[in-house]
Amino acid sequence: MEKVNAIEIRGLTKSFKGMYALNGLNMTVPIGSIYGFIGENGSGKSTTEKLICGLLVPDSGSIKLFGKDYTDPGVRVRVGALIENVGCFKGSSVYTNLKMQAINLNLENIEEEIDRVLKIVRMEESRNIKFKNCSLGMKQRIGIAMALLGDPALLILDEPINGLDTDGMRIMREILVDISKNYGCTVLISSHILGELEKIATHYGIIRQGRVIQELSSKDLEGRSRVFVSLKTKDMCNAKDILKRKYEKVKEEDGYLRVYDVNESENIVEYLLKEGHVVSEIKKNKIGLEEYYIELMSDKEGKK
Amino acid sequence: MDNIKFESPTFIKRLKGMLGVDFYRLFHTPLFYIFLGIAGIIPALVSMGFSTTDPVTNQITGSTLENIWIMVASNEPLYVVSDIAEYANMNMVFIFGGIMVSIFIGHDYKSGYVKQLFTTHAKKQDYMMSKSLSCAFAMACMCVTYLIGTIVAGIFLQTSFEVNVGSLLISILSKMVMSLGWSSLYTFLNVIFRRYFGVSIASSFFFGTGILIIGVAAIVGNSPILNVFLYGSSVYACLSSNILTLLVCLGVSCSWTIIYIVVGTFILNRSDVY
Repeated sequence: MEKVNAIEIRGLTKSFKGMYALNGLNMTVPIGSIYGFIGENGSGKSTTEKLICGLLVPDSGSIKLFGKDYTDPGVRVRVGALIENVGCFKGSSVYTNLKMQAINLNLENIEEEIDRVLKIVRMEESRNIKFKNCSLGMKQRIGIAMALLGDPALLILDEPINGLDTDGMRIMREILVDISKNYGCTVLISSHILGELEKIATHYGIIRQGRVIQELSSKDLEGRSRVFVSLKTKDMCNAKDILKRKYEKVKEEDGYLRVYDVNESENIVEYLLKEGHVVSEIKKNKIGLEEYYIELMSDKEGKK
Repeated sequence: MDNIKFESPTFIKRLKGMLGVDFYRLFHTPLFYIFLGIAGIIPALVSMGFSTTDPVTNQITGSTLENIWIMVASNEPLYVVSDIAEYANMNMVFIFGGIMVSIFIGHDYKSGYVKQLFTTHAKKQDYMMSKSLSCAFAMACMCVTYLIGTIVAGIFLQTSFEVNVGSLLISILSKMVMSLGWSSLYTFLNVIFRRYFGVSIASSFFFGTGILIIGVAAIVGNSPILNVFLYGSSVYACLSSNILTLLVCLGVSCSWTIIYIVVGTFILNRSDVY
C-alpha cells in the first residue's frame, strides 16, 4: 500500500501577473511531523500555504492532504491555519472570535472546546480581552487557538514566531511541541528564525525561487552536519592563507576564521604557532540549521 | 493514519455552520442595529420634507402627503420617476441595505476572517448562500423598522392611513421577499470587488438606486417587462398589489438569487480569494 502523507504536492505552479511565484513545486510532509518550511522572502512559502488552504487557485499541479484532494470538504474541515495576520475581528473579544470559529466548524461542545484551546495556548485568563487590546504574542496565540478548534489533523502556521520576544518564542515553542506530541497533529510551520525552528522541527523543506530544493529530516541534518573549529588571531588574513595550505575549507565569518571538518583544535593551534601566529580564542562548533541553510543557498547562488 | 478519520460534512451541516457565524456576527455587532435604526429614521426624514408649517409659530401643522402609505409604496407601479414622492418609499431600504451588506462582507476581508472561512469550507457556494440569506434577513428586518417609522411619522403628521390592508400587506411582504434578490446581488458585487472596499460600496449604491432601470424606463415607458429586474419587481410591489404581485416578486427574487449565487460561486472557484 502506498504511503499516505499529510501533505503531498506535485508540480505545483502559481503565477501572479505572469510572474511565477511557484514553479513546479514538489513537497512531502509526513504525518505527525513538525515540518519547518524555510526560504528567503518571496521564495513562495506563503503562496504554498495559501494554496494548501484553498485561498489561492493553482495554475497547475496537485495538492493532496492525507491522500485526498485538497478540495475535499472532509479534509479541509480538519485543517487549521494561521496565515499572515490573525483573522479576527478587532472589536470583538478573544472569546467571541473563538466562538464564531467554533460555530463555523459546527462544534457541539463549544464552551468546552474554547476552554480546551485557551488552555493549550495558555490564555485562560484573557478570554474577555478585546482582540485589538492584545499584544502581538497574544494575538499569535489566539490565531493558533482558532486553528486548533475542531481537532485539526493539520496545522499550517505562517511565521508564527516572528516579532515575538524571547519569552514569547519559548512559550510558542512549547505550545507547538505540545500540539504535535499530545494531539497527534501534523504541523507545517514557516519561519525565518531558524535557530528556533531547529529546536522543534522533525523535518525541513527548503524553498528557493518557487521550488523546494531540498527536503530532509532532522536526523538527516544531523548526519550532514559538519564540525568546524573557529578561531581568532591578530593577523586573520595571513593566518587564513596559512591555514588554507593545510586545510581544505577555511572561511572568515563573523570575525572568526572557520576551519571545517576538523576535530582536533590542538593541531591547528600548534600549526599556527609554528607559523608565528598566536591563537587568542578557539572553539569547536557544529553546523546547525542556519549554517546549513546559508551554505546551501550560497552553493546554489554559486551554481547559478 | 488509521486513527485519523475524515467525514465529509453534509451540505446542510456546512451551510448551518456558515449561517451560524453570519447570524452570530449580525446580532453581536452594532452594524445591524445601526442600519435598523437608519431604516426606521428614513420615513421620518422623508416625511419632514412633505410637512407644512405655520409661518407664525413655525410649528408643523400637517403634510402635503395625502396618504402616509405612499411612503411605503406608490399607488401604481411607476418605473418612470417624475418626482421624489414616487421614488422615496420602502425601496430605499434596498439602497441602505446595499451599504450594510458591503460593510458586513468587507469586514470579512478587512479583518482576514475570510481566511478561516475558506480554509475550513472547501465549497465556495456555502459563502455565497450564507451571505445572501443572512443579509436578506437583515434587509427584511429593515423593511419592518421602515414600516414602524412610517406609522410613527404618519401619526406625527396626522396624515390619512386609509388603505386596502390586503394590498398593503402583500406589498410589504413582496418587498421583504425582494430582499433576498437584492442581498444576493450585493453579495455578488462584493465578491467581484472584494479587494476594493470603496468600489464595493459605490457599486452597491449604484445598483441599489435602480438608476439603470429608471433610465431604461425613461425610454420604454412603464412597461411590465421591467419586472424581470430586481428594481422593476420592487416597484411592482405597490399599493395595488395582489397575490400575482407576490408570486412575481417571489419568482424574480429567487431567479436572480440563483443566478448570482451560481455566477458568484463560479468566480470564487476560479479566483484567488485572499
